[in-house]
Amino acid sequence: MAGSGKAHLRTEGDIILRVEDLVMEFPVGHTGLKVHAVSGISFDVLRGETLGVVGESGCGKSTTGKAMMMLPKPTSGSVVFEGTELTALKADDMRAARTRMQMIFQDPISSLNPRRKVRDIVREPLVIWKRGSHQEQLAKVDALLEEVGIDPQRAADSRPHEFSGGMCQRISIARSLVLDPTLIICDEPVSALDVSVQAQVLNLLEDLKATHGLTLVFIAHDLAVVKNISDRIQVMYLGKICEVAPSNDLYTSPAHHYTKVLIDSIPVPDPEVAVHQVAIEGEPPSPVAPPPGCRFNPRCPAADDRCRAEEPQLRKVGDGHFVACHHPLIGGEAPVAVRSS
Amino acid sequence: MSPHSAHTAHSIQAASRQLEGPLLEVTDLRTHFRTERGLVRSVDGVSFTLDRGRSLGIVGESGSGKTVLSRSIMGLLPKRNTERSGSVKFEGREVIDLPLADRRKIWGREMSMIFQDPMTSLNPVMRIGKQIGEGLRLHLGMSKEDARATSLHLLREVRIPEPEKRLDQYAFELSGGMRQRVMIALAMSCGPTLLFADEPTTALDVTVQAQILELIGVQKRERNMSLILVTHDLGVVAGHTDDIMVMYGGRMVEKAPTNVLFASMKMPYTEALLKSIPKIEDPSHTRLSVIPGRPPDLVNPPPGCSFAPRCSFAQDRCRTEVPPLITAEHPDHVYACWYPVGSPSHRARTAELAAAMSGAH
Amino acid sequence: MTDIDVIAHQHTPEVPLIDQGAPAKVRVRKRGRITKWLAIGWLVFITISAIGANSLPYISHSCPGGSTTNCSTALVGDILSKRELPPTWATWATPLNKTLPGKATHAGLMGTDSNGRDLFARAMLGARNSLLIAGLAITFGLAIGTFLGMVAGYFRGWVDTVIDNLTNVMLAFPALLLAIFLVTFFNKPDTAESAAPRPLWPIILALVILSIPPLTRLVRANTIAYAQRDFVVAARSLGAKGSRILFREILPNIVPTLLSFALTGMALLIVAEGALAFLGLSVEVPIPTWGAMISAGSERLRAGVWWISLMPALVMFLTLLAINLLGDVLAQRFNRREAIG
Repeated sequence: MAGSGKAHLRTEGDIILRVEDLVMEFPVGHTGLKVHAVSGISFDVLRGETLGVVGESGCGKSTTGKAMMMLPKPTSGSVVFEGTELTALKADDMRAARTRMQMIFQDPISSLNPRRKVRDIVREPLVIWKRGSHQEQLAKVDALLEEVGIDPQRAADSRPHEFSGGMCQRISIARSLVLDPTLIICDEPVSALDVSVQAQVLNLLEDLKATHGLTLVFIAHDLAVVKNISDRIQVMYLGKICEVAPSNDLYTSPAHHYTKVLIDSIPVPDPEVAVHQVAIEGEPPSPVAPPPGCRFNPRCPAADDRCRAEEPQLRKVGDGHFVACHHPLIGGEAPVAVRSS
Repeated sequence: MSPHSAHTAHSIQAASRQLEGPLLEVTDLRTHFRTERGLVRSVDGVSFTLDRGRSLGIVGESGSGKTVLSRSIMGLLPKRNTERSGSVKFEGREVIDLPLADRRKIWGREMSMIFQDPMTSLNPVMRIGKQIGEGLRLHLGMSKEDARATSLHLLREVRIPEPEKRLDQYAFELSGGMRQRVMIALAMSCGPTLLFADEPTTALDVTVQAQILELIGVQKRERNMSLILVTHDLGVVAGHTDDIMVMYGGRMVEKAPTNVLFASMKMPYTEALLKSIPKIEDPSHTRLSVIPGRPPDLVNPPPGCSFAPRCSFAQDRCRTEVPPLITAEHPDHVYACWYPVGSPSHRARTAELAAAMSGAH
Repeated sequence: MTDIDVIAHQHTPEVPLIDQGAPAKVRVRKRGRITKWLAIGWLVFITISAIGANSLPYISHSCPGGSTTNCSTALVGDILSKRELPPTWATWATPLNKTLPGKATHAGLMGTDSNGRDLFARAMLGARNSLLIAGLAITFGLAIGTFLGMVAGYFRGWVDTVIDNLTNVMLAFPALLLAIFLVTFFNKPDTAESAAPRPLWPIILALVILSIPPLTRLVRANTIAYAQRDFVVAARSLGAKGSRILFREILPNIVPTLLSFALTGMALLIVAEGALAFLGLSVEVPIPTWGAMISAGSERLRAGVWWISLMPALVMFLTLLAINLLGDVLAQRFNRREAIG
């Protein structure tokens, strides 16, 4: 597979989720063209681990998250969750499998039905799966609402719009926990929130992960946020994986030029440091016609002819640290002088 | 009606551009909304001045009144169920009670605004070129051809790739970053002297955010504009504005030149806001500092300092008396706090809390 | 550890957003309160009059012999002396037919028709049929249109193609022509001696068929919009089945739009019925509908007898206006509910 490779997949440990050669393509109207949202990526998640997925919009990170839930089914590739191949499941079995993995969305307000009472929204999964008596359901819902910091009394007779964005995100989190899932996919859960609320929600997720024994896949575009919550980070660009590394290593010694760009783009709340240099010009090209070779080559300061023709494979540059780059910043055989553009 | 209205009519007639003194002078601006719940005091007595060519960052959580403040200064709020009082002087003339027709003359040419979501602030069914050209023709009386040429020039200035092609495209055909560039071109089109940017990068990727902020900075310098940048992220304003004003509960709680603010912030709220930003250099799983609770209810604000219920340094006085704006060591640094960061009482409480924490563990 | 970190662990009472003391009395200016109540008042009046015409003294006393039956059948004899009397308030209008000395020259709130029947009583009786026909038609149209639209909008694929094309075909067909065709097809032709009895259902059927395509369109578009919202994806990720998502998640969200549109639709159907009646295609002539009454009076317009046509037209106009105003109010109300607070 071009530009992806599987060198980073682990064989040891309690692997809860393993995705291989995942491809997601969507037709563009009736033009015959296709959006190559995700082009053959592989990764795995250990039980109890938090995997961060980071990248710009259009890099396929959200599509990857939804593909893990078969929403919709991937174009090709395999998703093995707790030993079950999800892509082979029939619709009804898939519905049942989804209860073990849950999702939290970016827009806290849009992800809650505006016409229903908050307590009913959180209870809905239990009603769908007929778990417990009415009383037991309410008890569980109220306990969870308390846990995420929402007053159950208020939730019983309020609709989502009566709550702030941060509180709606808490409600979403409570709903995702009500079926006792093992894996939670968080799709940009804090991007729409104020920094002060963002910190509250991130801390809450850390706490819930510990108390409920969760495994998290945390998708976001802000590397500082992803680093805070993740054990490992996977950097994506235009439907491909650029780099996978333990969170701290990724920051201290980024190997991919794109990772470096992401780190340099984070605004620093310090006027001494923040004499801002724009880390990169332009925006990612259209995923309808991705560039050949390394997909980052048109914007990469180190790109040469090889990068424009040959797609790099993920290879090891450190302990649990893998990069898909011909001229990585670390671990390359012959470091290439970075052209100043 | 404010007592200024009679005076206003006169000053419009005079309409002479005053080049001395501050560009914008806001005095005790109040903007309240009548709702079924009661009077929402979104902006409750804000005063500040902004000089020509300077930039001011307004920082606060949602519900702090920062967006309402910028719209109230521009006069963009609907009249229905809105109560505005105080004074907004632009180039020395009072603009708070201008009739709509006169405000329209100011919008675009004197003040313009960039919004958070470029998708909804651009007209989805109008070509980009026409959208930019419309303001030029309306405000500056340009011919169709001139307007198109100027639009192209503006698109080039905001460094949109292939500007000729973009003129005939629609907003949905552009990426988020490009749309925001179009918004900037649109805001610049009639050469305003004051630009408001209301969370201009919140909907964008970090990489694009840096580009857009830089672009706004370049435009500001080249055109010698003044800039008011509204955001919830202290990190965004740190490198991009000369002064920073922190808002809480509809009031200004701290204002200082950026360097001074970061070197010696006085409001516990400002400090807490700064500390809630996750830092990339911290190891992962570092516990984030949070501000507990929620922003105050603007209908029934708590008595005393409105931050007191969420402040761990609050004492009895904070809960009963509203702190006035106090000038710090630096003459341009003001804050509203009884027990500011660095004061003996604050230090004692910090030690107390630290002791309690280590005791608990 | 920083000092602010300590704050996070402290218990600080949250500031309640909503319930805190008695809010200060504030006068909120609202748009169209009076018109709203006028509209509701008129509709209530019309509905009560339509249902209870037979026992309501203000209607029956103006009918010959105090019986509303006499207002809905053709009359002969003495009563004809009262024919074509202008309304009492229209003092300037002179009856064209010579009245007997000592007899009234003006009669009733709306005058009398060529048969000497009181127009006000007939307009109220006409409300019964007009509202019944339009009401039933919109109800059936709504049920069928909603079903088709939701199925097409949610499942898409070939079902959508079929329904969408059918809708297009029906929308392309001249509406009134289709209705005329249906009504004439189902009604028995008149014989030489008397008009054949005309049942209600062909006209209702024609109007139902007229109302289905636009409603299907509306519901389909709304369903597509809501199906992409995160809360629907969330419901799917919780394992909800298609039918559950349609009826519990999507339907409650489109009902408000539907209701306000249905009111406008009902107004349109009243007009359509009127048009059919004008062409002599509605229910049997002596049973009044507004359209039939307007039609009956139209022959006399040239003779200067304006009230026979104008009075029922006025009642119809006021009713349509009231319905549309109410639709507006509903739309505003629901919009505000959904607004993010």
